[in-house]
Amino acid sequence: MSSEKKLTLKRLVIFLIISYLPFMILIPILWAVYKEPLYTGKNEQLAVISYLVGVFGMMIPAAAHLITRLVTNEGFGGTYLGVHFKRRAGYWAASVIIPLLEGIAALILLWALFLKGTAFGDAYPNINMQSVGAYLLQLSFSIIIFFPAFGEEWGWRGYMMPKLFELMPRPAAIVVGGVIWGLWHAPLTVAGHNFGVDYPGYPFAGIGLMCLFCVLMNCILTLVTEKTGSIYPAAFMHMIHNNMNTAALLSLFASEAAIKQAGELSLGETMLADSCFTAIAAAVCFILFIRKDKVQKAAE
Amino acid sequence: MSGLLYKNFRANLSSFLFTVIISFICCAIGIVISILGGADMAGDTDSIREAAPVFAALYYCAFLLPSLTSNLLFEADENKTASAFAMSLPQCGKGHIQSKYWYILIQLLTVLFIAFVSDTVIFGILGGAFSAAILLVLIFCWRLLLAAVEIPFVIRFGSQKGIAIKGLVIAFVVVFALIYLMFGNISWLIGSDDPLGALIAWLKSGRIIFFISLFPFLSFGAYLLSCKISIKVFRKGAENYEQ
Repeated sequence: MSSEKKLTLKRLVIFLIISYLPFMILIPILWAVYKEPLYTGKNEQLAVISYLVGVFGMMIPAAAHLITRLVTNEGFGGTYLGVHFKRRAGYWAASVIIPLLEGIAALILLWALFLKGTAFGDAYPNINMQSVGAYLLQLSFSIIIFFPAFGEEWGWRGYMMPKLFELMPRPAAIVVGGVIWGLWHAPLTVAGHNFGVDYPGYPFAGIGLMCLFCVLMNCILTLVTEKTGSIYPAAFMHMIHNNMNTAALLSLFASEAAIKQAGELSLGETMLADSCFTAIAAAVCFILFIRKDKVQKAAE
Repeated sequence: MSGLLYKNFRANLSSFLFTVIISFICCAIGIVISILGGADMAGDTDSIREAAPVFAALYYCAFLLPSLTSNLLFEADENKTASAFAMSLPQCGKGHIQSKYWYILIQLLTVLFIAFVSDTVIFGILGGAFSAAILLVLIFCWRLLLAAVEIPFVIRFGSQKGIAIKGLVIAFVVVFALIYLMFGNISWLIGSDDPLGALIAWLKSGRIIFFISLFPFLSFGAYLLSCKISIKVFRKGAENYEQ
């Protein structure tokens, strides 16, 4: 391994340690103090703490990025903080439109696959001006989620992925990066975030699914970051994905019966409806990465 | 563009820092209030309702300063030499104007970030009883809309006239609100013992939610349009600047 690669690896390890430590320390402490999982506990105070952990926890990777650059005297070149619109406007638009379409498509898929016997109008009776207004309002209020989303993206896509690209071929880096990102969520997943605690195979099935989901998202987010040379479109995508997810859309448009039916679905079924279109988008992005890698190798 | 943005930050560093410090102070006051009254406010809806306008006023104060200091941003370049220099740059007047718009947006986003962190802390201190996240976004969008209206006039006619026109826009909105309060159907407000609660209930009733939901998009669209208009009127405006 060349000295340059060794230095990159060292920086990456420092970044990962700083990113991983807070959750690995904080979550078990909170669990021990409150004697119940952070995200499924009945304690009201715990619900507030889980929100705070979620918001500030998302900013940890950005802090790790900053600290690593300062500690290792790396400087601030290639931070992806610039904004470049020329010939890249399509990717900027896609970063907003794709997650919105994914959310709507997930609702349709959920109805088509799992709400059998219910007419579309009965499953989603609230598609009216008021609900569309609430949808648009929620979308515009996503801007407040931008900061935590930016926190994650600036760390993972803005620092980890370029480092991984230096160390291994692009397709491998996408998978490894996704798994690292998914494992970073592991303390939260164990504490019941996203999937709860009462599902078959807890907690490993949840951690595995989270890793899979993160690999899929990593394909899309990394491609957007690479193509725009900027971290903001990925942050927009992440922000909309978090704030306009299927659960939020269900609460806006679905009937109570449909929400109840959706709540009774298994983990796999929920993931299928939720992530089917994300997987298609990720597959397209992954193919683009493989092609780019081949072109790069041929050029070398 | 990054060079021009850097120039704006260097030239207005003190006002930018001042804005950040004032925002910190406003938010710190909010946090102190929530710490001191936390025990009373947590779980007590009436106390929260009494404290909500105070938090709102503090956040509004935090957002007020960027718009006040943004005049300094334009005044510094409001002469023929500076505008001729801006037009001689490779990015031309377009880059010069765009950098100003980016500067104001970054300034507002910085305040929004500080207010967001403060609001999250207050949310934690009050045990989830109060969050002003929606209010913060609305104030942010309102300031963005005002900047969108003000800047083209500042660039075309100078900062003094620009400020006057912004004042006219605010006056128009206030007069419009007063006319509605005088002649509109506000029986839900007058007949209520708790006007703030009635206002919140009215906002949540769904009658105006669609129109409120368009406001943030409108303000972002207006800001973009404003930038394009400012680029168009910059050359004419520069001809009127004093030497």
